[in-house]
Amino acid sequence: MESGEFDAALGGPENLPHSANSLKFAASRSVEIAAMTESILRPSKTKLIFQSLPVHMRRRVMSHNCKRLPKRLRESQLEQLKKSGISRQQKRKPSRKHRRRKTNLLEEYNRRQRRNIWLETHIWHAKRFHMVERWGHRLAYRSCDKAFRACYRASSAHCLMQDISYYTPIQIKGPVDTIKDLFNNITDNSCGLGICAKAYINGNREGTINLYKPNCYPYDFIGQIDFLWISSDNSYKEMWLFVHPSQAKIVENVLTELISKSSTDLSNVDSGENLPAKRRKISTKYSEVKIKPMAGIFNRIRLTGPKSHAVLVHSLKCVDNIENVQSNNWIQHLMNKEVNLLLKEKKEYWEQISSLTSPSQLSPRLIIGLVIKDPRWSRPAKRTKAQNNYITSIDAETLINVPPYLSSSPLWDTSVCDIIKEQKITNAKFIEHVTKTHFVPGEINEDDPTLQCIPIILVQRPGSQNSDYKKIGYGCGWDIIIPSGYGLPFWLTLIMFGARSGGLRETENLAFEMGQCYLPPDSEAGRLEEIRIESELKEKYFRRPPSKRVNFVKLAVPYPFICPWKILLKDWGNNVEGKMFVLRDKKVLDTLQDCINNKKKVPKIENSDTCLVPIYIKMQGKGNLTKYSTICLPLVKDISASEELMEPHHEDPNTKLRKQKRLERQKLLKQRRRKRIKLRKKQIVINQKTKRRNKTEPSEYVKAMRELWLPSNIESIRNMGIREVMGYVTQGAFSFSEANIRGIGYIAYNAIMTLDDHYLNKVLVRCTTSKKYRLANIHIIKPP
Amino acid sequence: MADENIAKKKQDQKNPKRFTNKKHAIKKRLPVRPIEGDNVIYVTKKTNFKAQLDKCCDLLAKGEKEIILHGLGAAIQRCCNLALQLEILFSGTCQIEVNTGTVDVIDDLEPLTDDVDFGAQIRHTSSIHIRIFRTALLGAN
Repeated sequence: MESGEFDAALGGPENLPHSANSLKFAASRSVEIAAMTESILRPSKTKLIFQSLPVHMRRRVMSHNCKRLPKRLRESQLEQLKKSGISRQQKRKPSRKHRRRKTNLLEEYNRRQRRNIWLETHIWHAKRFHMVERWGHRLAYRSCDKAFRACYRASSAHCLMQDISYYTPIQIKGPVDTIKDLFNNITDNSCGLGICAKAYINGNREGTINLYKPNCYPYDFIGQIDFLWISSDNSYKEMWLFVHPSQAKIVENVLTELISKSSTDLSNVDSGENLPAKRRKISTKYSEVKIKPMAGIFNRIRLTGPKSHAVLVHSLKCVDNIENVQSNNWIQHLMNKEVNLLLKEKKEYWEQISSLTSPSQLSPRLIIGLVIKDPRWSRPAKRTKAQNNYITSIDAETLINVPPYLSSSPLWDTSVCDIIKEQKITNAKFIEHVTKTHFVPGEINEDDPTLQCIPIILVQRPGSQNSDYKKIGYGCGWDIIIPSGYGLPFWLTLIMFGARSGGLRETENLAFEMGQCYLPPDSEAGRLEEIRIESELKEKYFRRPPSKRVNFVKLAVPYPFICPWKILLKDWGNNVEGKMFVLRDKKVLDTLQDCINNKKKVPKIENSDTCLVPIYIKMQGKGNLTKYSTICLPLVKDISASEELMEPHHEDPNTKLRKQKRLERQKLLKQRRRKRIKLRKKQIVINQKTKRRNKTEPSEYVKAMRELWLPSNIESIRNMGIREVMGYVTQGAFSFSEANIRGIGYIAYNAIMTLDDHYLNKVLVRCTTSKKYRLANIHIIKPP
Repeated sequence: MADENIAKKKQDQKNPKRFTNKKHAIKKRLPVRPIEGDNVIYVTKKTNFKAQLDKCCDLLAKGEKEIILHGLGAAIQRCCNLALQLEILFSGTCQIEVNTGTVDVIDDLEPLTDDVDFGAQIRHTSSIHIRIFRTALLGAN
């Protein structure tokens, strides 16, 4: 102990000052104070903010809800949350009550409609159906109930209903000859009747036509399109096309291009001299034709099945007296124009045919324009099955004769459509009105002038007309065209009368059951559909663990998820350009079927190198058919052989490669891991993680592995298996209408020619996951 | 009745549309059904014979008083077979009443060329209507 440290009072040398300088005192300890406050305010980094609170101040879910923290700590808490990547606090959903308010709900619906177009019955469907994005629309795919078989039954014995308002109507106006000339560029006579055929031009019937790109026939198929003419006496006529949305854009472009091109062609000729004088009359070949796509102006509901007539009879109540409906704005609008609506005659006809048991008893593709009372009047109190009423018997004359006034309808007048849409009474108003004026529940006054009457158009579909192929009348029904705004009232009324609703799956399935080709592969729409399905199936395939994947190389199935038409045609002829088309020439198809029936030699045709023939496949004995099954050329001995033909086992050359690759990859990953650990130990922080650009995009390694599972660079497929490949099945399953396995497929034309003369209708088919070849019979599919 | 048929036949011979020509394809329409119901059965060439026999047996066994079979054209034979089978199966408890007739069937003539319109023709096919009705309940014999 040193003496020097003692106070003076005790006899030491140190003298204490009389007063202490607090500033100096604090300043000399400032470093320590700073360190202390620092450690209080910002506790050590491993802790969260709320952990710095004493236990009695902590609350439940503090980390989620910052309002549970003292206010002074909130800011730093939020910052910490942000750092850890959780920013839920800012993006909190508004309450359900708030979201369900009418205006907010509507806003939300409008926002969601921006990406895809919704149909009018969307919300009804969205509650009951699986919805998919297709062709720029949000469409119902299949019902949430298990209704696959029920939907088939509805289509064959009851009434199946689908909303097909997504079909785009296109209005074409112009002189008949010009329109005919215009369509001559994009159609061909060999595929069936032309657009100006006498059968269609008077507007009594709807027609279908195959469209091709201008002057490209038989290549560049666009699609099959429904059309109808508006009946009028003069040569300046109006027609409407109903185009599938997958083809709508192309059809529109092709038509507008044709019209504009024709004018430029001629104006180029003129351009030499006195331009201003010539410019005035650029009126050229097609410029008189006016094309107007009017998406969303109509709703179209498709009813299929024999009972669809009964459903319609119950739900449509015709207006017969014009005096009752005179107050309607659109009727007044028409009366100013002096249009005769022929209400009485139409009602009479509709009542005459009201006891039909099936729409297929009527003239094929008949058009009926009716004016009916608001469908909300005719709803039953409970959902009931509409039954036929056998009060009147129909004589054959009414079924045969088509009165000329039948097809006229004010609906085609677009101004009428606008008025009707404007004057529509909403459901809420309707209910309000009914509760106010109808005192006895259930009693209705159908002639109430507040609800306007509505013009609609019915288009009959005959269904199967060939009893050898499918039972007569399968797939028959009505299409109803109604003005926009009235989709849901009609839909609900039809539902109440026992129609079963279906979605896109039913459309596909109906085409299969009727033996028709759905989106043929030579059209753009079909190609896109194929690619979409392929990527879906591939994703599904690669989601399985490798040990549970079917090895298609071993089965000699090079393309299990897509039909390689181009490679097939290249193998069967010298098709270098990669062009292809599906045979639609009616005469050639007829002769082909004739040859098959009578065992004659198949004739050679033009472009046979690039030609696919649509065929319908029936299994001869056992065996299943799936999508992408291969159709193979049988040898003569196969047909009478007692033993089933089996594809031998094929070696997969990639097995070793895959294993090697996987080992290498594992090694690499291990190395990287070791390196990381080492660096972490040395406390060197290197931000090596490069962010992957796209999470859905698989890495290079995954891609290479997938390539080894399903090689995509196969150039020849004809001789992959022990039998030569002729074609592929595009749709195959158990067909309820035939009570057997059926398939629809295409085979190369050149392959048909190599079939043995005596067994022209015999082919072998093999599923993608099977080794067995099965015998099957083929039919040529003829377009209806 | 017979005179009527003969008159109709003569009319057909005059009708040139009966002959198929190259401008039309014949498409068949569904024949008009006189009545539908649970106990009315239409026999066609395509329906499975055994299935329809079972259906009829079920109906009769479940207490239906009568069932009516309709057959048209080539299906007449199947219809008769079905009725006779039923008679054997329900021997003594069922009786058969047979009516024959003619039904007008409509064929559509679909144009194959642009310059012709749709047409239609009436064909007459023979039909059979068999009423099978119970004379005694099943447990009685």
